[in-house]
Amino acid sequence: MSTTNPHSDAPTDAAGRPADRARVRRRSKQRRRIANVAGLMASLVLTGSLYSVFAPAQAADDTTSESAAEAAGRELYERSCITCHGENLEGEANRGPSLIGVGEASVYFQVHTGRMPLVRQQEQAPDKPAVFSDEEIDQLMAYVQANGGGPTLPSGNLQDGDLAEGGELFRLNCASCHNFVGEGGALSSGKYAPSLEDATDLEIYTAMLTGPENMPVFGDNQLTPEEKRSIINYVQTVKFQADPGGAGVGRMGPVAEGLVIWVVGVTALMFGIFWMGSKA
Amino acid sequence: MAATATAPGAPTSRLGKAATEFDDRLIVAGPVRRTLNKVFPDHWSFLLGEIALYCFILLLLSGTYLTFFFDATMTEVVYDGEYDPLRGTDMSAAYASALDLSFDVRGGLFMRQMHHWAALLFVAAIVVHLLRIFFTGAFRRPRESNWLIGVVMLVLSLLMGVTGYTLPDDLLSGTGLRIISAILLSIPVIGTWVHFAIFNGDFVGEEIIGRFYIAHVLIFPAILLALIAVHLLILVKQKHTQFPGPGRTEHNVVGNRLFPTFAGKATGLLLVVFGVCAALAGLVQINPVWLWGPYNPAQVSAASQPDWYILFLDGSTRIFPAWDINLPGDYTIPALFWPTVVVAGAMFTVLALYPMIERKLTGDTAAHHLLQRPRDVPVRTSLGVMALTFYLVLVISGSNDVIADKFTISLNAMTWFGRIGVIVFPAIAYMITYRICLGLQQHDREVLEHGIETGVIRRLPHGEFIEVHQPLGPVDEHGHGQLAYGGAPVPKRMNQVGGARRAIRGFFTPIEQPSAVELEQQGEGRGLAAGEAARELTSSGRPSDGGRPSDGGRPQDTRD
Amino acid sequence: MNTHETRPGSAGGSDTPGPLHGGPDEDYTPEQLAAMSREELDILGARYDGVEILHVDPGPEPGSRLEKRAVRQVGWTFAGAGISALLFLVVYAGSGWFLPEWAWAEEGTTWSALFTPLLGLFMGLAFTLAGVGLVLYTKKLLPHETAVQDKHDGSHFDRVTTGATLVGGLHNSGLARRKLLTRSLGFMGAAFGLMLIAPLGGMIKNPNKGNPLGRTNWAEGVRLVRDDGSPIRPGDQQPGSLETVFPAVPGGNRQSDAATMLIRLRPEQVTSDRPREGQADFGYGDYVAYSKICTHAGCPVSLYEQETSRILCPCHQSQFDVTQGAKPVFGPATRSLPQLPITVDDEGYFVARSDYIEAVGPTYWNRERI
Repeated sequence: MSTTNPHSDAPTDAAGRPADRARVRRRSKQRRRIANVAGLMASLVLTGSLYSVFAPAQAADDTTSESAAEAAGRELYERSCITCHGENLEGEANRGPSLIGVGEASVYFQVHTGRMPLVRQQEQAPDKPAVFSDEEIDQLMAYVQANGGGPTLPSGNLQDGDLAEGGELFRLNCASCHNFVGEGGALSSGKYAPSLEDATDLEIYTAMLTGPENMPVFGDNQLTPEEKRSIINYVQTVKFQADPGGAGVGRMGPVAEGLVIWVVGVTALMFGIFWMGSKA
Repeated sequence: MAATATAPGAPTSRLGKAATEFDDRLIVAGPVRRTLNKVFPDHWSFLLGEIALYCFILLLLSGTYLTFFFDATMTEVVYDGEYDPLRGTDMSAAYASALDLSFDVRGGLFMRQMHHWAALLFVAAIVVHLLRIFFTGAFRRPRESNWLIGVVMLVLSLLMGVTGYTLPDDLLSGTGLRIISAILLSIPVIGTWVHFAIFNGDFVGEEIIGRFYIAHVLIFPAILLALIAVHLLILVKQKHTQFPGPGRTEHNVVGNRLFPTFAGKATGLLLVVFGVCAALAGLVQINPVWLWGPYNPAQVSAASQPDWYILFLDGSTRIFPAWDINLPGDYTIPALFWPTVVVAGAMFTVLALYPMIERKLTGDTAAHHLLQRPRDVPVRTSLGVMALTFYLVLVISGSNDVIADKFTISLNAMTWFGRIGVIVFPAIAYMITYRICLGLQQHDREVLEHGIETGVIRRLPHGEFIEVHQPLGPVDEHGHGQLAYGGAPVPKRMNQVGGARRAIRGFFTPIEQPSAVELEQQGEGRGLAAGEAARELTSSGRPSDGGRPSDGGRPQDTRD
Repeated sequence: MNTHETRPGSAGGSDTPGPLHGGPDEDYTPEQLAAMSREELDILGARYDGVEILHVDPGPEPGSRLEKRAVRQVGWTFAGAGISALLFLVVYAGSGWFLPEWAWAEEGTTWSALFTPLLGLFMGLAFTLAGVGLVLYTKKLLPHETAVQDKHDGSHFDRVTTGATLVGGLHNSGLARRKLLTRSLGFMGAAFGLMLIAPLGGMIKNPNKGNPLGRTNWAEGVRLVRDDGSPIRPGDQQPGSLETVFPAVPGGNRQSDAATMLIRLRPEQVTSDRPREGQADFGYGDYVAYSKICTHAGCPVSLYEQETSRILCPCHQSQFDVTQGAKPVFGPATRSLPQLPITVDDEGYFVARSDYIEAVGPTYWNRERI
């Protein structure tokens, strides 16, 4: 592992910048989704804020074996995660996998993208607005890292890799599921590779590192941290790059283009010839 | 000839003299007059084929421009152009020149996109034109030969599309080329030989882009151009078909002469077609090859699809079951062979032979110049809708991964939808269309017999309520119309026979009050020619029914 | 006129039209035509072409309000088209001159993303307005005439006379009697046809020579390397991962049939792994290597779902199960992905134990035979 092992403050630093950016980008999508999870959010925000009032007091009682962050993380874990992932991160059959060895990187990805906690069991956990605050995510990460171990978060600028090399690696390793430009795509039986439209640098990094759900793992000996940064650079660059040729129609390729030619082109010309043929 | 120079009525203007000089040498006055006097029907549906023709012209022009910059070779180069995310990447010279065309040539991207949009529109226009010909029976004797040429041109345009799609050698088109290679390999007995002949060896080799290029810019366009010429010559020779109507017979064409009315409209349409393509070319991005990346046989992207006109073959391939046929002697007919070569071959063969098939089945060998309304030929119409449904299910299956992803449907479910749908939906479509045709026919007969529903309710002396019907012609003693159905549209509303004010004036907006134009026209004493005869017959109902369109108390008022 | 008769090569025939010249020039003298008005001449000519002008709806009265309005409308439309065309020129030529640079740059100006859309907008407008103007012109300012043109069936006279000429020529050639000539002509035609297509033989290549379809660059001891050429040790990959590997030969990563997926199975997958018969030892530890080229249409598969062990092909959605010897479990593919036998060399890097034992890629006619 070439990355440092930050404890309580480093992840916030690393996460803060991309996370903030993601929030801005995500606003429009959030608006759509917000209705669905509004109820859930409201109750969780309430418990969260109640919790933050009492947290310091609890942490003061229990400083001997674990840090304050870990204790707070345990509290959160026992409230939101324990039913599926078990008392000691060992997992529950048919409900949730073991969290031993997944590391804080996995916790970051799953919780920060809102995939966890799960609302209900289905083919694949959908991404949605994060339920926990950044601080709470840090606490959960600290708890899982301390008790299960595993890959840790990277630090520094995650986009400082080589752009063209990132493109080659993306097309070789990622495009097969996530599409040329990270549009995402369908997998077997209702599963899907999500769009990378809302993904932050750190989310992409941790996803590669931990292989969430059906995504294969790309460990640091397979794709070096530099290569991962190249890929992130490519994904984010292309994502925010303007379309020089007009409206991108989702950068979807032939299916969208075919739709455009029939719905716009042929329809416009049909109106044209109706008008030419009309007597008025 | 020189005699004309001194003859009375000889031209005195410079232009006239020049024209005379011209005709002295080429003797074209006669043919030119015949051409100018050619009568074209003015129904909109006759312009569909012209859209395709104008797209083809635009394709030739924009394609020629592209050849100035495109390098159809597969030599490996390192990209060093404007587009950062690919700078330093290994790629073929073809792909690099496509990138340069998009980023380093002023207006090159615009021309590239125009060419591609025009190509999509070209095939779409051909298909719509073909549907019009099919559903109105315009392919019947003596026009089978032109139908056949049309089908061949459709196939050629698909080949043009496939070869053109392949040229930039990007990751998307390379994936398509890989599938083309597999399709060639799947042909029994000769497959590998055909593949090695076309690719000059195993996939992918060094030749294929160059070969596809020459096919795309020379061989196919030349054949297409020749066929277009023959198609149009036959059309001129046989003259247009027309829809039945007053004064229209099997032995005439009613419409506008080429010059100036039709020429004006046709030129206008040419310009509009160019305009639509140019607008799309600039405003909507198509095939952004720089996002796809260079072709590499080890790479692929989710949602790799062909252009829309090949989607049906991709769809048939996706839903075809895994049925290899193993023959004795360890020979195999691959499953891929059936949904590609066989399905495409069968579809185009049936399409090409349809006029002959229909002639055999109906025994109708007479020459026809009057078109049929689709409802009057329910079997053909239903067959057409059935084929169209089949095609549509294939197209949907061809994009099933995109649909599955965008609408969060299971991909496997989409495949099964296609497998079942491709059998079930066409049959359902046939039955529904057949019923609709019969229903429409019946309604036509009913209106001819009983008249148009006026919406006027009358109470009879004994208390019964009836709706007053407006007969379309003379009635017998029972009040039944004596008009026979003639294959032309039957008016179904009072305002179509002048019994009410025409609801729609202008093209887009209904104008309730008589417009300035209308008033002026009335002032000039111009009547509504079409409604003239019918108005005479308006007798039942209220007296005011027979009045001018501008009269008050129209039956329509009570109805709407 | 008389000079013509004595020019060299002239047969000395009369220069006046013979009796066969005929046509309308016989019916109408120039004087008669000169006496007719332009409209009459138009109708007369049309009649000769089988066209009857049934009804003419004159255009708007010259000088009327209607005409003025239509003229204004059409005029403005054409003017708009001209302005759009000029704007196109301004954008096209002015970019990089008095307008911002058009060339695309990563940190580019917004202008580079507007350049093509503006070109499209203005050219589209120019063409469309010109077309609309022209159609408006014909619809609003030209007289509307309804014309009828006769359609003629084939002429019996033409058929009979043409037939006579054709049959006469054929009869005179005597081909029906001179059998030898017919046969030799047929023979010559066939030979000519073959000769003309013969050069295409240059395209033919024997696909069975050296078995190019059945072999790849893999061989015993060839290392498995990444796209960048680096070799792989068993410790490099995490369980549940996939790496695309190529044979360590020059150009190995550009071969269309050599790309291979090196998959490290998760422990649960290892326990449920059921390799194909006789291929149980093809893997190495928890590693298995399968061809990346789909057995259906040759696309690179590799949409690997590590939880369900499925590999999906993005082209036609065939699905293969890596724990069942990459057997197809859904979709149109019929054959398992070929498995590459792998082991580890003295230095601890993955190597192939041999080439694939079957042909990779799409099925073809005689695949099972070679």
